Amino acid sequence: MPGKYSVSAIDEPCRRCKAMSVIVVRSEPLCHDCFARYVHTKAIKRLERFRVNFTATPDQQPRILLPLSLGVSSTTLLHVLDLHLKTQKSKTNRTGFVISVLLIDDVVQDPASAERLEKVRHQYPDHDYSSLPLHDVFRLVPDDASIRSLLPLPVDQAKLSTQEQLVSLISSLPSATARADVLSTLRTRLTVEFAKQAECESILWGDSTTRLAEKTLSETAKGRGFSLPWQISDGASPMGINFHYPMRDVLKKELVSYINLAEPELASLVYEPSSGATQASTSSKNTTIDDLMKQYFESVEENFPSIVSNVVRTTGKLAAPASMSLGQCCSLCSMPISDGRFGIHGWGGDQQDGVEPSHAEGSNKLCYGCTRSIPQFGSTPTTT
Amino acid sequence: MAPSPCALCHTNRALILRPKDHSKLCKTCFISVFETEIHHTITMNALFKRGEKIAIGASGGKDSTVLASVLKTLNERYDYGLDLILLSIDEGIKGYRDDSLETVKRNAEQYGMDLTILGYDELYGWTMDQVVEQVGKKGNCTYCGVFRRQALDRGAARLGVKHVVTGHNADDVAETVLMNLLRGDLPRLSRTTSIITSTPSASSDPASNTNIKRSKPLKYAYEKEIVLYAHHKHLDYFSTECIYSPEAFRGSARALIKNLERVRPSAILDVVRSGEDMAKLVPGSDEGCGGACSSNVPIAEEEEGGCGSAAGRTVGGDMENMEKQLAQNDTAADNDLEIEITAKSLQKAKQHNRHDSAAVPLANGKKTKKGVTPRKTNKQVMGQCKICGYLSSQEVCKACVLLEGLNKGRPKNKIEVGYEVQDVQQRDQGADGVADVMQRTSIGGD
Repeated sequence: MPGKYSVSAIDEPCRRCKAMSVIVVRSEPLCHDCFARYVHTKAIKRLERFRVNFTATPDQQPRILLPLSLGVSSTTLLHVLDLHLKTQKSKTNRTGFVISVLLIDDVVQDPASAERLEKVRHQYPDHDYSSLPLHDVFRLVPDDASIRSLLPLPVDQAKLSTQEQLVSLISSLPSATARADVLSTLRTRLTVEFAKQAECESILWGDSTTRLAEKTLSETAKGRGFSLPWQISDGASPMGINFHYPMRDVLKKELVSYINLAEPELASLVYEPSSGATQASTSSKNTTIDDLMKQYFESVEENFPSIVSNVVRTTGKLAAPASMSLGQCCSLCSMPISDGRFGIHGWGGDQQDGVEPSHAEGSNKLCYGCTRSIPQFGSTPTTT
Repeated sequence: MAPSPCALCHTNRALILRPKDHSKLCKTCFISVFETEIHHTITMNALFKRGEKIAIGASGGKDSTVLASVLKTLNERYDYGLDLILLSIDEGIKGYRDDSLETVKRNAEQYGMDLTILGYDELYGWTMDQVVEQVGKKGNCTYCGVFRRQALDRGAARLGVKHVVTGHNADDVAETVLMNLLRGDLPRLSRTTSIITSTPSASSDPASNTNIKRSKPLKYAYEKEIVLYAHHKHLDYFSTECIYSPEAFRGSARALIKNLERVRPSAILDVVRSGEDMAKLVPGSDEGCGGACSSNVPIAEEEEGGCGSAAGRTVGGDMENMEKQLAQNDTAADNDLEIEITAKSLQKAKQHNRHDSAAVPLANGKKTKKGVTPRKTNKQVMGQCKICGYLSSQEVCKACVLLEGLNKGRPKNKIEVGYEVQDVQQRDQGADGVADVMQRTSIGGD
């Protein structure tokens, strides 16, 4: 079975160096070192942009932001980038970029997470580290009204702390899917905002191939198919900063193998409390669309790894419309909307004649997908 | 628990939890809302013209029966001025078609519509039972799907009808969107979401069977609501899956859709919406107008399937085959064994040649023109099948290729099939075991 490193499955030596193989990767037996090189190469190949620039002075090096979730992918990315910088340093006495690491705590700032970040800093001491609670999104996003206007009780919001604002927003949402969706959107917004304020020129996300495929189908299922060209491709994002996905050619299961085969220090940094989508709740009430897609691709990558890569490759071919006026963006997810198609009404599939169009006036408008998650925003409250 | 009143009329007791949005409705309001939405789809997309003759592709299954019933109701209620007839295709599957055709015959009487039944034997000289005898159960859906697509057009042409409506519902469309994403097939993704497709005429003959418009008025209707509608209207339909249809690639997308619907009822509609939006982002697609321009109707799929319940399901094994092929491509790319040959690079090579060999430029120019055609990725050039005259992107249409194989008196198998039918062939391959793998691949939430 591909990606498994059980000894019984591998009789052949490493196909690249004839040493003893420890893992079969995409039907190729590899030894420990060649597998590590395989993962490194896949990631570094994506970072051409961040080669050592000999004409720049050391303080002119681009700063990149690495959002760390302490999951397998982002932790491995940090590990690989750290190695890469050390290699650059030893070869040229310079580095191509500097790293800021950001850890976001979901609802409350957890002392345990500060400890975990401290461990990471100890392991990779050459970088800058920060951690923020998610509710800082209400504090940091400059155009704060656009996010604050989504709060259920606009009257009281001035009195509420940012943490209370976040809690009240999340608890006003109709389903587990909506809560997960809004939380992840806010996490992205906060990450982008922090990156801008820290003067980073790019954000290097840890997403694996598998994760990007999940995201493709999950965003499709949440009605955000329109935003896919910006959601999974490398380059300028509509949020005014570059997005890169250096792990886009590595499968999640390969990253898991990498962690398991690496020095134990690396594995000890990983913290995935809800790891394994297979354990996801069986009750549909608590299951989210993201969970479903995670489960789905976990099983697909087992037998059909190339199909997973193909989903990502194909989606990357979707082209952003040329005539996109960037002024028209969703107030929540910031994705550009064409033709003012905000909200869930006014298209072929919205069939109730006489349904009131969105009440949202002014500059705050939600895209189709975000309206599904915050239905009460901009429309009359529903009974459900 | 106190009975809740209907969310729409507020008088009757709510008996129905609407699958689409979980609103609580009474029977009358549900039926009226269901019909109104289809009316809305029809008017918003300007599907019909006054006085148009419409053939309803009728299988006797729930979708086409509900379609016929609703169209009859709306045609009378809103005075569309349509001439509605039923067109059934008899694939020649004993025990499945016999009974469902009886249903269609009863429907024709109940709705007072003319009915035409066309048999595969009549059109192709083969019934599906005979095909299965010849090729086995594996891959027979390819034959059925390819034959059916043409059969409806041929039947319509025979009746002088230019517009066929089919019972494809929102679940079918959503499923196809996810399936095409999984298969990485962007051109098809951009076509399957359009509500109207057509096989534009390649000949000037007005009786030609290649100028038939297709539309799906139930595109936004949930399968569950179609069943509810049929139930509450006491419609007479036949509910057995085709005895030959195997679980397949599409099954994986189908299971995903069912699970999505359970988690968020609007998800089916949301996938359809995403599909429509993505169609506009496919490079080189005709969908820039969102399918709204009537002059720019996407070309229908020649091989678009459609087995009543199994609606367009492709045959098992395609996922495994694709995996193998992709893996090989990746290996080739990794080893730099594969070089993309484009017209440009060839031209360059030729120019290079020219300098080396000092050949006459003119001669070279001719050579280039002759030998190299630029690679077309998205646009198919539609022509006519040289055997039957049906619209085809190849010299011989798929139905004729399949027929040729059948008529040779032996099953088509993967080694013998030529380049043209690669697409079909892909679906043919694969062991039955793959269907099981696919089953496991889908999410077990039941």
